[in-house]
Amino acid sequence: MVYPAWSSYPVPGLRALSFVGIATHWTILQYVLGLPFLTFLALLLYLRSRDEVWMKIARTLAKGFIVVFAVGAATGTGSEFGLVLLWPNLTEAAGRYIYFPLYAEIFAFMMEVVFLYMLWYGWNRINPKALAVVALLGFLGAWYSASMIVSVNSFMVAPTGIVPAVKAEGGKLVYLYDEGYPKITAAVPAPIVQLLNITTLQKAAHMEIVGTGKVSLAGTEVPVVVVRLPVSVVQQLVREAYEDKTIAESILAAKSGGKYILLNTTGIAALASNPEQLKTLLRITGALPVVEGMGVRLEAGAKLTPDQVAQVLLQLPVKNMLDAILLSTIKTVGVMTVTFHSPVYPASIVHAIGAGLVVSGFTALAGYALRMLRMTGNEPEEYRRYVETAFKFLAVFSAVMIAFQGFVSGHEMGVAVAHYNPEKFATMEGTAEGFTNIPKLLHVEGLVEKMMSMVAYGDPNVGLPSYDEIPAHYCRCKLSGQPAFDCRPPLVIHYIYYTKIGLGILLGLYGLLVALVAMRDRWGWADRLLRLAKIEGRPRWLLRLAIVFAVLAQMVSNMGWAVREIGRKPWTIYGLMTVDVAATTNSLAHLASSVTLVALYYVAILAVLVYAVYRILWLPGKREAGHV
Amino acid sequence: MIGIAPAWLAFMFGWHIAMVNLGIGLAWLVPYLKNKAVKENDRDLERAARSLMRFYAATYGLAGVFGTAFTVFLLSYYPDFIGVAGHIALIPFAISILMIALHFFSIIAYWYGWDRWSHNTHNLIGLALGVSALLIPFGFRGVFAFLNIPAGLMVEATPAGTRYGLDLGAAIFANPTTLPLYVKSIAAAFTVTFFAVMGGYAYRYAVARTEEDRRYAARIMRIMAKPAVAGAVLMIVLGLWYALSLQVVPYKFNNVFASLGWRTGPDPTPYYNVAWLFVLKMLLFAVQLAAVALAVPRLLRGESLTEGQLKLITLAGVAAVLTVPLGEYLNAFSQYPFFIAAWPDVLAGHVTPQQLVTQYGVKITPPEALPAVIEKVNSIVLVDGAGSSAVDVLQKLVQKYPDNNYFRALLAEAQISVNEIAVLPAVVYLTYAFVAFLTASAVYLLYIVLSPRPQATVAAVEAEH
Repeated sequence: MVYPAWSSYPVPGLRALSFVGIATHWTILQYVLGLPFLTFLALLLYLRSRDEVWMKIARTLAKGFIVVFAVGAATGTGSEFGLVLLWPNLTEAAGRYIYFPLYAEIFAFMMEVVFLYMLWYGWNRINPKALAVVALLGFLGAWYSASMIVSVNSFMVAPTGIVPAVKAEGGKLVYLYDEGYPKITAAVPAPIVQLLNITTLQKAAHMEIVGTGKVSLAGTEVPVVVVRLPVSVVQQLVREAYEDKTIAESILAAKSGGKYILLNTTGIAALASNPEQLKTLLRITGALPVVEGMGVRLEAGAKLTPDQVAQVLLQLPVKNMLDAILLSTIKTVGVMTVTFHSPVYPASIVHAIGAGLVVSGFTALAGYALRMLRMTGNEPEEYRRYVETAFKFLAVFSAVMIAFQGFVSGHEMGVAVAHYNPEKFATMEGTAEGFTNIPKLLHVEGLVEKMMSMVAYGDPNVGLPSYDEIPAHYCRCKLSGQPAFDCRPPLVIHYIYYTKIGLGILLGLYGLLVALVAMRDRWGWADRLLRLAKIEGRPRWLLRLAIVFAVLAQMVSNMGWAVREIGRKPWTIYGLMTVDVAATTNSLAHLASSVTLVALYYVAILAVLVYAVYRILWLPGKREAGHV
Repeated sequence: MIGIAPAWLAFMFGWHIAMVNLGIGLAWLVPYLKNKAVKENDRDLERAARSLMRFYAATYGLAGVFGTAFTVFLLSYYPDFIGVAGHIALIPFAISILMIALHFFSIIAYWYGWDRWSHNTHNLIGLALGVSALLIPFGFRGVFAFLNIPAGLMVEATPAGTRYGLDLGAAIFANPTTLPLYVKSIAAAFTVTFFAVMGGYAYRYAVARTEEDRRYAARIMRIMAKPAVAGAVLMIVLGLWYALSLQVVPYKFNNVFASLGWRTGPDPTPYYNVAWLFVLKMLLFAVQLAAVALAVPRLLRGESLTEGQLKLITLAGVAAVLTVPLGEYLNAFSQYPFFIAAWPDVLAGHVTPQQLVTQYGVKITPPEALPAVIEKVNSIVLVDGAGSSAVDVLQKLVQKYPDNNYFRALLAEAQISVNEIAVLPAVVYLTYAFVAFLTASAVYLLYIVLSPRPQATVAAVEAEH
């Protein structure tokens, strides 16, 4: 059995470059999600206690995010342009159909910039209560921003209306690939339905009609038929649309025995005698300008013969027809809400913000642990109290957040993936027969299968989806033979996923231990427990480990994104657009040398920046300890 | 009236470009002042450099936000354009992006590393700051010049779809507008910065409470005065150079100058007359010239300025900053509603496809695909919907060229609308509300950044450094 590797899908260079850009951005912006929130909490604690120590903690945390925020903005701009330049067809589609969250994100970005800078520049000019309000608006801006971007990403992971091909039914898993699943739900305007041979589409392509409705398109109220279309058909139409194909060059015009298979010639001919319906069709498919370009003034009462109608429709770009279908689908669901209806969105946004809080907590904890390690005992009492208070605050915060990530949001995320991305779930679990997965290596496959089945489906006996049961070409259109590559995700994500889980558990254990140690002077039971484990005082090895775990927290978070993104391959938008269709056609972008150079440049700047931040954030600490 | 989409684009771009121009100038001015301050142990220059850097760091963040807002709005309103531009303009955009990454890094490292790096290292970072500030607009201005004339466009029709590319050499050297536009933009950025800094210090001089503060403000004004005068003179020459280069794009040129009596090409009709924008820009420039004539000589002689002269210099600073968005609006709207300014002349037959190939290095493979390419790019206009000025312009073109089906098809398309779901009333109202709230907040932020800090705060911040 041959399984797909990460590099066996198209445009590996572009994918690698995007990985570098987006991973860099994510690495940094987690601090923008977390540090302003921590600052806000510290300000609240100051307002409650009026203890200057909390104000000092808040100020230090603010200093951290103000440095990384500007870098985050830079890497965000880089990522944005990277998307436009490397994946222009994806960007174009996003701008046309799911623009709203991107558009609304701009206001979030403005909120972040204005209020985070205001917090920093206004620190000594605004009273503490107002400062807390500014911090609140600042972190809300960051979270609002995340909620918009994650909604778009969730739509790419599981678009609204996706119907998966695997479901748990009657205590076992049922595979529906032979029935054309996974399918996308779409609202097809009735004038377009009239062009198609519905019976063939239902019988041969497994299209299902699930309802009807009405939608306003190009200023006209148009009836729609809600259908479920196999992704193999949908991706082919999207492919043809971005290859600038006309209907005549499309699978829609495929013939058998000299007759169209999918086009309804009778319906097309009938349009000639129904000028109003023809005009509606031409208007919603943007074909009126084409007809005007032919010199036919339909608006002035001119008519087309049946042959002319057929000619116009066959010359119509597939993109125009697809546009009408997608637009009516988006409008049926809700222009402003369509991405938020993605079934994986609620779990994704909570998990993403949670990751930002965990990484920020552990990183700040490491910073204060370092300060403690550097203490000689001669520091002023005020400084010692400040560092110890911050350490306790961050230890408890980190422990709570990692527990939340593991037991609540991570769990919900896993359940969502299992239900809506069964191919990814099977790959994460590495259920291919000829593949050496980690539970197998540890001889615990039975236990893990039952446990994961319980987590995913609420029943330990359902089992896990089998990678081998997923047809390698479930996304391939039979009429065109496209795409030629394997439709299943690469099995490498199994190792990434299990490494992430393993490191996540370690992170949780460390979080628990460090919180107990930090709070042992206030929690008697924690002290007793630690004494039983022969852990006295605040061991230096535990403080040193804080630095390791700050790095591990970043690794866990980035591996989570890697599983999410690589696990979606070969799709860019699951069920709709594959990576080769999304990619740029500019030949320069496909040169290995240019991709490598850009990646190296980016990494070099990042490395210098890390050094700069170390100097900027660390040096004052040293000086402070010596002089306060 | 232009539609809501170009109006929002203009608003976002106006903010962005004004702050970016100041940024280009400050990226050189701050390291220059800092270096001089260290070498000559000059506290005035150190104080000015620090103060300007502080302003620069804050405004650059805002400029970045408005720039991002502009691109996202463009993506939402005109996704087709972004799709095609993404394929074609890979190299110029990539140059800009790589330089933006370097620039952001340089700002952070320069600002936060003020007293932490050695003098030489700090200077090196200052150099990176300045060089990247010059190269960011090199890429972007390349795209703007391409929007004048698509020189260097490479299109290949293949069975797997259309492949796009850009011949960088042709884009720079075969496009007569590339170099004038870039050089003029850089010179303008420096000139605006000198006038704005001079204006800012004139205001500080006027409100100063101590003699020492007045002396300091007057000194910085004097330092800025000579380069500001030189810049103003240079702008006259470079402005003329760019205007002359635009004669190869008659549609655009005539929209600016035809009603002022300067016409070019076989059809000198101004279809979308923006001469008033040019006149307004010249009035703002006149304010700067008035300051140069009436206040600067006295300033340079070291004589004290009258209240009126201080106001005039301050006003010149404001006028200089306003000239920037106005100039951009003039450049952009003079080709309205076309994304590519040369296109109406190509479609009307004034520029032949042969000229595109021979003069401007456009490469179409196979050559027979040229009409299809024209049609593809032709479809990218600022469609604004019925009742907008875009429709008026296209109607005038249809009347002038009744047998031209290209214009007729464009008119039919322009009647439909911009990406209709991006201009839903709910979205438009939401945009108004947010922009009003955030603009007010941004103004307050600038007030916080610019207003003098209490002495205790200054001491605290210096201690922190």
